[in-house]
Amino acid sequence: MAALDTVAVTGPVPGPAEPSLLRRVVHDRVGAAALAVVLLFLLLALAAPLIAALYGKNPVEHYGQNTPGLLSDGGVPMLPNGGISGEFWFGLEPGLGRDVLTQLLYGIRTSLLIAFAAAGVTTALGVLAGVAVGYLGGIADRLFGFLANVLLAFPTLLLLLAISPVIQSRLVDPNAAEPDWMQFLVLVLVFSAFGWIPLALSLRATVRSLRERDFVQSARAQGASRFHVVVRELLPNVRSQLLVHATMAVPAFVASEAALSFLGVGVTEPVPDWGRMISRGSEVFRSDPTYLVFPGVALLLFVLAFNLLGDAVRDALDPRRAR
Amino acid sequence: MLTFVLRRTLQALGVLLAVSAAAFALFYAAPADPARAACGPRCDSGQIAAVRQSMGLDQPLLTQYTEYLAGVVAGRDINDVDGSAIHCAAPCLGYSYRLHQPVAEALADHLPVTLSLTAGALAVLLVLGLGTGFVSALRHGRRTDRLLSGFTLVGASVQIYFLGYLAQWWLVHSTGLLPLPSYTPPTEDPAAWAGGMLLPWLVLGFVNSAVFARLSRSQLLETMNEEYVRTARAKGLGRLRAHLKYTSRGAAGPLVQLLGLEAGALLGGAVISETVFGLNGVGRFAAQAVSGQDLPAVVGAVLLAACFVVLFVALADLAVAWLDPRIRLGR
Repeated sequence: MAALDTVAVTGPVPGPAEPSLLRRVVHDRVGAAALAVVLLFLLLALAAPLIAALYGKNPVEHYGQNTPGLLSDGGVPMLPNGGISGEFWFGLEPGLGRDVLTQLLYGIRTSLLIAFAAAGVTTALGVLAGVAVGYLGGIADRLFGFLANVLLAFPTLLLLLAISPVIQSRLVDPNAAEPDWMQFLVLVLVFSAFGWIPLALSLRATVRSLRERDFVQSARAQGASRFHVVVRELLPNVRSQLLVHATMAVPAFVASEAALSFLGVGVTEPVPDWGRMISRGSEVFRSDPTYLVFPGVALLLFVLAFNLLGDAVRDALDPRRAR
Repeated sequence: MLTFVLRRTLQALGVLLAVSAAAFALFYAAPADPARAACGPRCDSGQIAAVRQSMGLDQPLLTQYTEYLAGVVAGRDINDVDGSAIHCAAPCLGYSYRLHQPVAEALADHLPVTLSLTAGALAVLLVLGLGTGFVSALRHGRRTDRLLSGFTLVGASVQIYFLGYLAQWWLVHSTGLLPLPSYTPPTEDPAAWAGGMLLPWLVLGFVNSAVFARLSRSQLLETMNEEYVRTARAKGLGRLRAHLKYTSRGAAGPLVQLLGLEAGALLGGAVISETVFGLNGVGRFAAQAVSGQDLPAVVGAVLLAACFVVLFVALADLAVAWLDPRIRLGR
């Protein structure tokens, strides 16, 4: 086992015979399916305006209120199952009467934009902190351990919930309308403030053990600078850990963002958002759960596909797995 | 063991102190005007001035913090908006100028709901997670294992604010199999308590059991191949008994630690589940405090939740040290 580990981890450049990561992920049937679903979601997000134009609807117009006969006086869609029809494929939003399909499509953009940005920032921060602390050791390491303990003691969701308005009040003039990008920025900031710790902790442990390995010691003995050791010797060996973290971070942030919006402190009207759709759906689900089911199932599929992809990437990169 | 307990307790206290300082800095120093934030948008300038003085905002931040800490340890006297003096008893987490009530008192009112919710959900989590993990490990690589892995992965991916409503719609509103989620004090009517909490327990336990099931599967698989288990089997101990007696004890360490984390997270993260099931616990209280911008109540709730996390992680560490002598002796 130990010998296998050494062979797989110390080789900084993959040998020519080794198949590419993508091929290894796709080789697994579940991995291939997950990748396909993830790509489909990405494609839908990119093509949202095009699809909306072809379909002839947009996510902000109140169709149900503007066209008589679609909603009852109480704001409930007249047709069964949330007003699904040839005109509105996924039905209408109760109350405002917006189109569900385009809301869902544009909702992917909201989720992905925030999740990708947060995953990028946390990965970068996690690498910086984890590698630096793991390599330096000593007092920096002790301090980091304590800091991580403190930050991890905070109940994440409650803190996010509590701190979003505080940050908002600092960055935004209360009398002015808040621009959309500012909401996004606040959410990315809040997620980034805490999301980097798990990655940094696991990288710290890896780098600590790598530091004592022969190839690092010999590089140092030959007079390599710290920068060289970190960038050329250590970083290539934590690449797989980074990739797995980044893949797993995206669905986690998508879920957190939806949770905050569900609680009413995330993305606000009229930016389409799945969490807020679920929150609206939860007000009417007793009589007709359709408006709850669409964003809920979309979110489940999305998170599930990303989690499966993350598993497949992890398996493909795991040196202990026979390929 | 005693030195380990002492060391771990001191460490936990240190973390809590740092958490309280961070929370204090975050919420009392960050808002543009903490007095306005604590008093609310409907306060006039006179009331805000009263709050400012009562909160001690005219003093340096460090003094405010030490007074807050002194209040936690020994209690303190606080003036309400109208100037009436109120004694805030020993674990004083500040005073809610919105509710006209010490924060600790308000939290204590809501705590039984959250504790009931968490205890039941943990029980479901433990049974479901250990059960699926154990069966998966025994049937490693077979169809049952793959089926259960898929099941837990769905559990890990589904959101409680979707599954919770869906389950309510199906089990309560459509079929009427279960009563509407509600809280009855168990001292009044234990049957009504369990009935009203059953649906939240099941949903919350299932959603959170996924990580536990995965870890218990891999832990059990790893320990099953340890030599002491193989020896026990070779000496003629039955498969199930060998695994129950030796494997489970060897595999327990990380599982206990995860359980501690889950318990803390459940208590601290009750915001969503309580909103979904309409239960009026600490999480719901915190969410309302945030939306009502009740600053002292928010800080109190955050600190309480952090206490739970630190407490349960420390308890789990102690349990692990008790199970595994290598840890308490410093290896």
